[in-house]
Amino acid sequence: MSVIKIKNITKTFTETEVPVHAVNGIDLTFEKGEFAAIVGPSGSGKTTLLNMIGGLEKPTSGSVEVHGKDISELSSSKLIDFRLHNIGFVFQAYNLIPVLTAKENVEFIMQLQNWDKTKMKERTITILESVGLGNRVNSKPNQLSGGQQQRVAVARALASKPQFILADEPTANLDSKSTTQLLDIMEKLNKEEKITFIFSTHDQRVVDKARRVIKIDDGKVVSDVVKKVESGSF
Amino acid sequence: MMLLKIAWRNIWRSKTRSAVVIFAVASGLVGGLFASAWMNGMAKQRVANTFSLETAHIQLHHPEFADNFDVKHTITLTDKKLQEILKVEGVQAVTSRLKIQAMAATANKNMGVTIVGVNPETEIEVFGLYKKIDSANGDFFTSKKKNAIVISKALAKELKVKLKSKIILTFQDYNGEITGAAFKVIGMFKTDNSPWDKMHVFVRDNDLRKVVEIPDGQSHEIDILLNDYEQAGVISADLQNRYPELLSEDWSMIQPYLSFITEYMDIYMGVFMIIILAALGFGIVNTMLMVILERTKELGMLMGIGMNKKRIFFMIMLETIFLALVGALVGEIISMFLIEYYGKVGINISSLAEGMESVGYSAISYPMLEPYRYLQITILVILTGILASIYPAFKALKLNPADAIRTL
Repeated sequence: MSVIKIKNITKTFTETEVPVHAVNGIDLTFEKGEFAAIVGPSGSGKTTLLNMIGGLEKPTSGSVEVHGKDISELSSSKLIDFRLHNIGFVFQAYNLIPVLTAKENVEFIMQLQNWDKTKMKERTITILESVGLGNRVNSKPNQLSGGQQQRVAVARALASKPQFILADEPTANLDSKSTTQLLDIMEKLNKEEKITFIFSTHDQRVVDKARRVIKIDDGKVVSDVVKKVESGSF
Repeated sequence: MMLLKIAWRNIWRSKTRSAVVIFAVASGLVGGLFASAWMNGMAKQRVANTFSLETAHIQLHHPEFADNFDVKHTITLTDKKLQEILKVEGVQAVTSRLKIQAMAATANKNMGVTIVGVNPETEIEVFGLYKKIDSANGDFFTSKKKNAIVISKALAKELKVKLKSKIILTFQDYNGEITGAAFKVIGMFKTDNSPWDKMHVFVRDNDLRKVVEIPDGQSHEIDILLNDYEQAGVISADLQNRYPELLSEDWSMIQPYLSFITEYMDIYMGVFMIIILAALGFGIVNTMLMVILERTKELGMLMGIGMNKKRIFFMIMLETIFLALVGALVGEIISMFLIEYYGKVGINISSLAEGMESVGYSAISYPMLEPYRYLQITILVILTGILASIYPAFKALKLNPADAIRTL
């Protein structure tokens, strides 16, 4: 079943003196439970593509359908609501709320979704334990390492069980050990929670883990490879 | 709940900046509240002094008495009326007075004065003039000596008299004849209103009655002290109905200036505080704009992950209100202590005493602020916070999440 269907989208930035064609007609489809990486050199349009999938930016033309609904037609306030209930974001710079603890950061989205308090607390502990931070629930972001902060960001993105998670260069600021840990955790959660993961990345380690690799350059898909599924894996 | 938590913690992220805003709000409020309390205290003293020395709360006269102070425009059956009025609910004390325009003369000078003929026993229950005579300057008719007179120190200075000196009072009697009598000074008072002091002298009503030949049982004025001066309008109207042949006036009719002071103080304090809060509001707007600029990325992230515009707006508004409220709380506590302290010891501006007393104000004033004023200020500060948050919050709402997240 396809979760996301991208139909011939383009994005042109006109604020600059010379218009920049960041995305030039991309068609893609993502199925439920995918673990996909979008790769390409800097300026190739990875982040713009990811932003359009996540409804952070509207395409100049074309459409992005999530479960058959064209999100490029939604108003900005409906898009916010859509993102809240359907998408989890993981950003390169972690972007946690600095005044909240790890636990509160994870609870934040669920509070916005009006979760039942007891269920929310249970879910928070479960998800923080699953990212290996069961013992740091009361730490604030500035008391955590970069890797730990990114794991909190993953927990936050996953907490409310979104349709899919968009991760924009999630390992760019992490050391090798933290990257491995984070990727293992995301892969495990992808399998356990059956949530679609889409990354934009430069990182070969992420590419190695991904089960589908979409290469883009100059705003176009140049290759889209689905790796052979190993026996027993998702 | 989470928004409250975030907003509260956010204001402590930049402690120095928040401290500067809090200090600005606090010092602005201390200045505003203390100045208001000072002016308010002065006005309240002025009003209280006028009640205590000049007007009481309600006065009854012959309807034409005020036109020309005609000796014949009297109130009849005064004693009966005093007894009846004393029984009216809300009345604390009553007294009657004779009032005659006269010339006060000594070997040195003549001056126009109003002679007030009083019954000392009931007079001291209504008026507090006797408290304005210190022991070195005689008393207020404690002895039974005939033809005694109490004058002010200011008049004594003008007439160049002292205790036991004689003053000749000349006036028109009940039959229209010019007459006069000598009175011996037995007491000298000093109030905070020097023009009034110079124009009033006090004698026993019986002494005056004999010389002026006013029939027994008649007086020119009935003065009424109430338990609550705010009831004056209602009780005065009631008395007017009871005694249609007389004119009943409450303090605001006798001295419209007092009513003006009371109302003016309210307006003055309101305008004064609004100006201060408006200035503080602009400072807060500036601070919040800096906050928005610094937190562009974070706000973009919040919108990105699904925090709607209403919540973003509310969060920024809460932050602004918290910031203003903390400053207000600090300012109000400091103001309370200052007003409490100076309300007890008073502020002495004796260097300006002459000027102040020439317009009826005391040189020592006691700042005071009614408790409800603090509540008013708190509400005004919250409103300021709300207003000051609107522009920064709209700025935040205009952010494009994707652009905001990309900012460094």
